[in-house]
Amino acid sequence: MLVKDYMIKHPPLADPGMSIIEAQHYMAANQIRHLPVVGGGKRLLGLLSRQTLLIDPGRLASLDMWEITRYLSNLRVEDVMVKARDVVTIDPDTPIEQAALIMVEKQIGCLPVVSEGIVEGLITETDLLAHLTEMMSVRTPGVRVTVRMPMVKGELAKLVAAVAKHGWGIESLGGAVVPKDPAKWDAVIKIQQPKEEVLAALSSIEGQEIIDVREV
Amino acid sequence: MRGPREIPILDVQGLAISYETRYGDVPAVRDVSFEIHRAETFGIVGESGCGKSTVAFGIVNFLGRNGKIVDGYILFQGRDLVGRTEEELRSLRGDRIAMVYQDPMQALNPSMRLGDQMAEVLVVHRGMKKADAEQKCIQMLERVYMPDPANVMRRYPHQISGGQQQRVVIAMALLNNPALLIMDEPTTALDVTVEAAVLDLINELQNEFDTAIMYISHNLGVIARVSDSIGVMYAGEIVERASVQDVFLKPAHPYTLGLMGCVPRLDTTKATSYLRPIRGRVPSPKNLPSGCIFEPRCDYAREICRQVKPEIREIQAGHWARCFFAEEIIEQQGAGVRERGEALLAGAQPPASEVPILRIRNARTYYPVPSRKLFGGEKLFVKAVDDVSLEVVPGRTLGIVGESGCGKSTLVKTIIGLEKPTGGEFEFMGFDISMPVSKRSLDLIRNLQMVFQNPDSTLNPSFSVGYQIARPLKRFKVVPPNQVRAEVVRLLNLMKLGENYYDRLPRQLSGGEKQRVAIARAIAAHPDLVLCDEPVSALDVSVQAAVLNLLLEIQQKLGTTLVFIAHDLSVVRFFCDNLAVMYLGQIAEIGPAEAIYLPPYHPYTEALLSAVPIPDPRAEQKHIRLSGTVPSALNPPSGCRFHTRCPRRAMLPDGGQICALEPPPEQFDTPEHRIFCHIPMEELRKMEAVVTIEKERSHAG
Amino acid sequence: MTVSETAFSAERGRSRFRQFWEGISVVFRSRVAVIGLSIVLFWILVAIFAPFITKHDPLAQNAQAINQGPSSTYWLGTDHLGRDIMARLAYGSRTILLLAPISVLASVIVGTVLGLVGGYFGGVVDEIVMRILDAIMAFPTILLYLIIIAAIGPSAVNVVIAITFVGSPGIARLVRSLTLDIRTRDYIRAAETRGEHPLYIMFVEILPNARGPLIIDALLRVGYAIFAIGTLGFLGLGLPPPTPDWGGMISEARKYIWTNPLGVLFPALAIASLVVGLNLFADGLREETTRYQ
Repeated sequence: MLVKDYMIKHPPLADPGMSIIEAQHYMAANQIRHLPVVGGGKRLLGLLSRQTLLIDPGRLASLDMWEITRYLSNLRVEDVMVKARDVVTIDPDTPIEQAALIMVEKQIGCLPVVSEGIVEGLITETDLLAHLTEMMSVRTPGVRVTVRMPMVKGELAKLVAAVAKHGWGIESLGGAVVPKDPAKWDAVIKIQQPKEEVLAALSSIEGQEIIDVREV
Repeated sequence: MRGPREIPILDVQGLAISYETRYGDVPAVRDVSFEIHRAETFGIVGESGCGKSTVAFGIVNFLGRNGKIVDGYILFQGRDLVGRTEEELRSLRGDRIAMVYQDPMQALNPSMRLGDQMAEVLVVHRGMKKADAEQKCIQMLERVYMPDPANVMRRYPHQISGGQQQRVVIAMALLNNPALLIMDEPTTALDVTVEAAVLDLINELQNEFDTAIMYISHNLGVIARVSDSIGVMYAGEIVERASVQDVFLKPAHPYTLGLMGCVPRLDTTKATSYLRPIRGRVPSPKNLPSGCIFEPRCDYAREICRQVKPEIREIQAGHWARCFFAEEIIEQQGAGVRERGEALLAGAQPPASEVPILRIRNARTYYPVPSRKLFGGEKLFVKAVDDVSLEVVPGRTLGIVGESGCGKSTLVKTIIGLEKPTGGEFEFMGFDISMPVSKRSLDLIRNLQMVFQNPDSTLNPSFSVGYQIARPLKRFKVVPPNQVRAEVVRLLNLMKLGENYYDRLPRQLSGGEKQRVAIARAIAAHPDLVLCDEPVSALDVSVQAAVLNLLLEIQQKLGTTLVFIAHDLSVVRFFCDNLAVMYLGQIAEIGPAEAIYLPPYHPYTEALLSAVPIPDPRAEQKHIRLSGTVPSALNPPSGCRFHTRCPRRAMLPDGGQICALEPPPEQFDTPEHRIFCHIPMEELRKMEAVVTIEKERSHAG
Repeated sequence: MTVSETAFSAERGRSRFRQFWEGISVVFRSRVAVIGLSIVLFWILVAIFAPFITKHDPLAQNAQAINQGPSSTYWLGTDHLGRDIMARLAYGSRTILLLAPISVLASVIVGTVLGLVGGYFGGVVDEIVMRILDAIMAFPTILLYLIIIAAIGPSAVNVVIAITFVGSPGIARLVRSLTLDIRTRDYIRAAETRGEHPLYIMFVEILPNARGPLIIDALLRVGYAIFAIGTLGFLGLGLPPPTPDWGGMISEARKYIWTNPLGVLFPALAIASLVVGLNLFADGLREETTRYQ
């Protein structure tokens, strides 16, 4: 699960000489929120987003109406974009969680995927969400069970063994440390079997407790 | 997984392109609209002159001095390409839009090494250093399964085969990871097995790079194999646009219907189907009908079609057609299996006589090749035909199939006397014909005639049609001089051309018409045997159908025996009674046509059948691909010539050692069906059929 | 199942006359060709109507009017023997306009035959033909003319022979290469499978299709031939005097160039204009016929 598997390849790109009016039109008409600016060979030069297109009023303070119009119409994308050196990018071979981490830490919604300076794709929050749904097999029906267990080696294996003993398959498996209780760990597991049977099978694991069970 | 609001890579709406000529503006393309999304392939299918290549050139602005876009827009990732400066377009081409042509030599510079050319793409667009660029190129060549890439980089284009050249071109096109790849008949010039491998490659690469592909072809089978959705073009307009399934299984436009009706299929024979050609001729862009452009040739036309031009409209979700009666047309075929029409011959096949009209035993035709040394040195021979034996029964058709270099053309030329045989017995009607044509008696010459492949060079441009058909009549004294003209007219009528063709010159004729004249010329003196060297390969699908039907009629009426060479297995299936499959100068398998298409197969036949693209998305086809290329006929492999590439060699107990040592024995499946292979017949009989088509399937599928 | 053609019959089967007219009208589409043609036509008319253009006798000498410039009696002046230059030009044009095309025709005939034979048969025959042609072409043209005329003597017929000899190899090469190309066509194969005689194939099947480039080349060669006749005349190897011969006129007037430069200039201009006219015509034709490829 690397970035290159989930990124959008061939994203829309802009060239630096585009006027910001045109860029604005383009982004609005096609509902683009983040537009990388590239030079020859798709080399990353900068990034445009809706915010960067808003001009700082301070720049215009001293101009009169006509001058403002002229100034605006002459503005090129390269004048307002975030320059390449300031753009946070990610390599296509990075694990996808890394991308998610960066997005969370830096509070950005989109990362250009860049390899040796060349833009290969774009990965956005939505793509990560899509990944999450894949990981949790959200589209597959089944019984979803949350099992809480101590954060100790071998506990997860016990759970998996219990499933395997019945010859069942695991549709998806995810897990995280319990936020309020760091010594415990929640596993979310989806099994395609009748609810009562699953309950019966998993509630008898020593040291583990079923927190939630529902049919999805 | 595509996001719901993702903009299409290419969005063409209402595109119209015209050419300026001496006589004014000619509207070559009118009202073409389609979309291609990322990782999708849009196939454009149409016959020659329909404007499909013009559309491609219009997108990349290669229209030439006198071509211009007069209407519509072309949005590439949301931005219009029409009206951009040449410089902007140049930076897009090669970097974000790439094009692959039919002839790889149009993209390759013959005087530069392949490595230099490929690296140039990266150096120019990305400013890479040459050494890094070359590394990338080698990686790309590996991705396209080029054997020994580092070596290939140092070679020149003419030193590699056509199939390999095309791979290099594809690799070059993908080096910069373009968002859009335009392919204009990229596999048309390749052999069937090579084509199959290249089509597989394209699929694979698309999966990896998510490229949007616009694929242009006139071959319905290929289009069915590569496309997700299809646009059918006729005389400059898109007449139908829908998913692959819909176009083939629920065609809504009469032209599409017509095309489907004239494509010979792998599962039909002469007796069970009839090709239905589309009557009439494609209108010239200078002279378009005032209403629907297809109306003059349409079986469903009504009054309104003559007066009003239909717009293209969405008749079902994602299914567009340019016809007022599209819904009716779909309904008419919705019920049950589509019928293929009445049987051509109501069982009236003349009984085959026992005595073969043509008998060939151990035929050999070698071409001497000058040796490398100045003096002495070994004499080298290209063994174009090496030990071929076959018989042709009067009144029947023998087909010969094989890929380029298999010797089928040479064999036929030797039979007719244009080449000198090196050995073997050639017997025609009991007479020996192992000498060149200049030494044969007039009678023999008269009874053995030929139809050639290329309609553009088969007629002498300086003489009228009537003169050229009359020539054999006069030469062989078929009728007295004062009846020659009447006889020519009779022949023209037989060819369904008519008397007013008598004075026309070849340049006033279309490809199909020229080929008919060539056929008339060949049969004018009532020959007993006519050799046809790929007579329909250069023709459009609908014209092909008409000519094939004509040949069948002639055979029926005149009882002429035919030997028919082709590389298209579906055409041969429809047309021939018996079939021979040739590989590298030898016969691999020979027998009645139905027997060839069903197991047991020679391994080469099996590979050939699995490579042929089938114009039916329901067809299940085995996926056998041959590795390597056809070996040179100068130095053919020892033993069985196919052993270097045979996928079934492992079926033999010792891994096929014997295949390299001894020539394969002749094995009989039935007295008429022979296979030359070391694998025992019982094993061959266990093979599964290569093609199975599910005739009935619910439409929900 | 019929193939209907009715909708398009209007374009086909035009009368012979219209086809001919359309063939001719190609010429008029090129300005260059028209200019060239006018020049050539001018001289042709001069040649035909010579007696009406000038009342002087080109051979009449007048001791009183030697090397005079243009005057009312002698419009272009006189030469060193008092002969009217204009008359000599006018009548001289007849010679040139007669001999040049004839020589070219002769070399076309000889060259075509050689080219067809070599190109069609190939092998040993082709080698022999080519080597002979190479041998001839190896000689510098002037030298060849000198040798030939020196061997057989100067006269109108011998001028034709000389030009034919020198011009055939070029034509033979052209026809040979056209033949090599045409020979690969399927209609030649078809003729061979009918057992047609090689002569038939060469002259009936191949030759008509080579006529395009051949005609244009021949037209150009008329220009060269005119040049050659002028050169021979200049060298004294052409028509014997006193026949008016433009080249000869230049040669004779050369001695008096300081006193009457026009005596040299006018014949030179005449030759130049005719050659240029022919070349323009041929060029224009070639351009027009290959434009919309």
